[in-house]
Amino acid sequence: MTDPTTKLLPFIVDRVNMGIFVLDRELNVLMWNRFMALHSGKEAEQVVGRPVTEVFPETNQRWLRKKVESVFMLGNLAFTSWEQRPYVMAFPHHRPITSDVDFMRQDCTFMPLRNKRGQVTAVCVTVNDGTDAFIYQSQLQEAMVKLEAANRTDGLTKVNNRTYWLNRLEEEVCRVERHETPLTVTLFDLDHFKQVNDTMGHLAGDQVLREVAERVQKMLRTSDVMGRYGGEEFGILLPHTDLWQAMQVVDRIRQNIAAKPVVFNGTEIPVTASFGVAQWHQKLARVDEFLSVTDEALYEAKRSGRDRCIAAKMPYW
Amino acid sequence: MLTEDQRDCLQETVNVAMGKAGDVLARLLDVFVTLSVPRIIAIERDEFGRAHNKFFDATTPVSVVRQGFYSSRHSQGLRGECILVFNETSYRELAELMSYDHNDLDESAETELLVDVTNVLCGACLGGFAEQVGDTLSYSRPSLAGRQVPVESIFASIATSNDRILLISISFKIENRTFDCTMLLMMPAIAVTQLVEVLDRLLEAV
Repeated sequence: MTDPTTKLLPFIVDRVNMGIFVLDRELNVLMWNRFMALHSGKEAEQVVGRPVTEVFPETNQRWLRKKVESVFMLGNLAFTSWEQRPYVMAFPHHRPITSDVDFMRQDCTFMPLRNKRGQVTAVCVTVNDGTDAFIYQSQLQEAMVKLEAANRTDGLTKVNNRTYWLNRLEEEVCRVERHETPLTVTLFDLDHFKQVNDTMGHLAGDQVLREVAERVQKMLRTSDVMGRYGGEEFGILLPHTDLWQAMQVVDRIRQNIAAKPVVFNGTEIPVTASFGVAQWHQKLARVDEFLSVTDEALYEAKRSGRDRCIAAKMPYW
Repeated sequence: MLTEDQRDCLQETVNVAMGKAGDVLARLLDVFVTLSVPRIIAIERDEFGRAHNKFFDATTPVSVVRQGFYSSRHSQGLRGECILVFNETSYRELAELMSYDHNDLDESAETELLVDVTNVLCGACLGGFAEQVGDTLSYSRPSLAGRQVPVESIFASIATSNDRILLISISFKIENRTFDCTMLLMMPAIAVTQLVEVLDRLLEAV
């Protein structure tokens, strides 16, 4: 019996970059490799022969007992994953600088160890460090959230873009159809905006759009949804709001825009806007007609002198 | 895929295995677990998209966990994937059975429960089945394939590189508990060829 692997095995088991330990049915530790000692701060001599839950009182004893018992009874592998249970034992990890993870993420596998008659006599637990995978997954999720936000935001004004705003309008219309709560929408357009661009340049125009969008956004409730509908045209969804309430909200927004000029390179640019407002009515043929009656009211506000709010004439009322 | 004799033999073998599995589960969980009579069905590639109709009502969303299994005899034995479809489940009751702290179950804890139950059910049923056909199995780490997803999605993930698969379905109920889940044990044609050889040997021995 001079098989070299026999000599190598204990060395490998001890030094492999993976936690390996063995428990009996009463959760007493029978073996504890170097990885476990290094990461737990407890040498094999301090741990072997004692119940693991006594050495690490923070481990969930009832849960661990059931887990080990299932391996004894079924003679089957059992698993834990950091995706659901971040760790079984609280170990420090190797990224204290480049992450704010609290403890090493662990994937554990529980394996039955059998005697010559095939009976399960102990359970071997392997511990894989999943901290890196956890960090990568978290970063991926963060990136997805950012990407989603970028995908729905208007680059210049930072309010929602047209596509997202229209989708939200569709959703809101579907919702009020079911719940019969009021929904009002307004479209507004900055007055004589082309003149700002023509006389003061596009940078000035951009500044006006940015500042107006920011000012209006600040006046809205969290449930209201604002979007850039076109060049200098914006839309706002006002859920749970009827036409009468909406007219007051919208008129406050109009006054706020007109109250203070936008300053660009030391020059004051007076700004006003015209608003069309409409409340959803179930006889409207979906979103297109909803927007077109709102747009007609906006046109009416322009035609009758600008800097005002006009409620849509509903064809059915 | 199977002759009538082979099919009867497989049905018999699976029935015996599931009877044993029921016993083991009852001892482990300390409750009566009722297993349905296993259904054995071959599903052709062009049926994958609507195979869920054979097993489920299309309306209620389900949670799905999958686990791979493979023979220790490598390509000479059983191989496939086990998919557990959880219908109506009381997580609280399940947590109690599995000795989890059932007072604060967040989504992760609920998922871990499903994954854990899958491992136990697969281990008990497949282990018994493998024993009946003189095989021993290893298992992959089970993973969540979907939470509250439409049942259509279960079969949508079957790779169309398979011409056909053999499917054994078993439903589980636990006495006095809100627990309703179905195990879909799926094997690719190549593994079935191996299984058929075993069944033929069993038939010859009779």
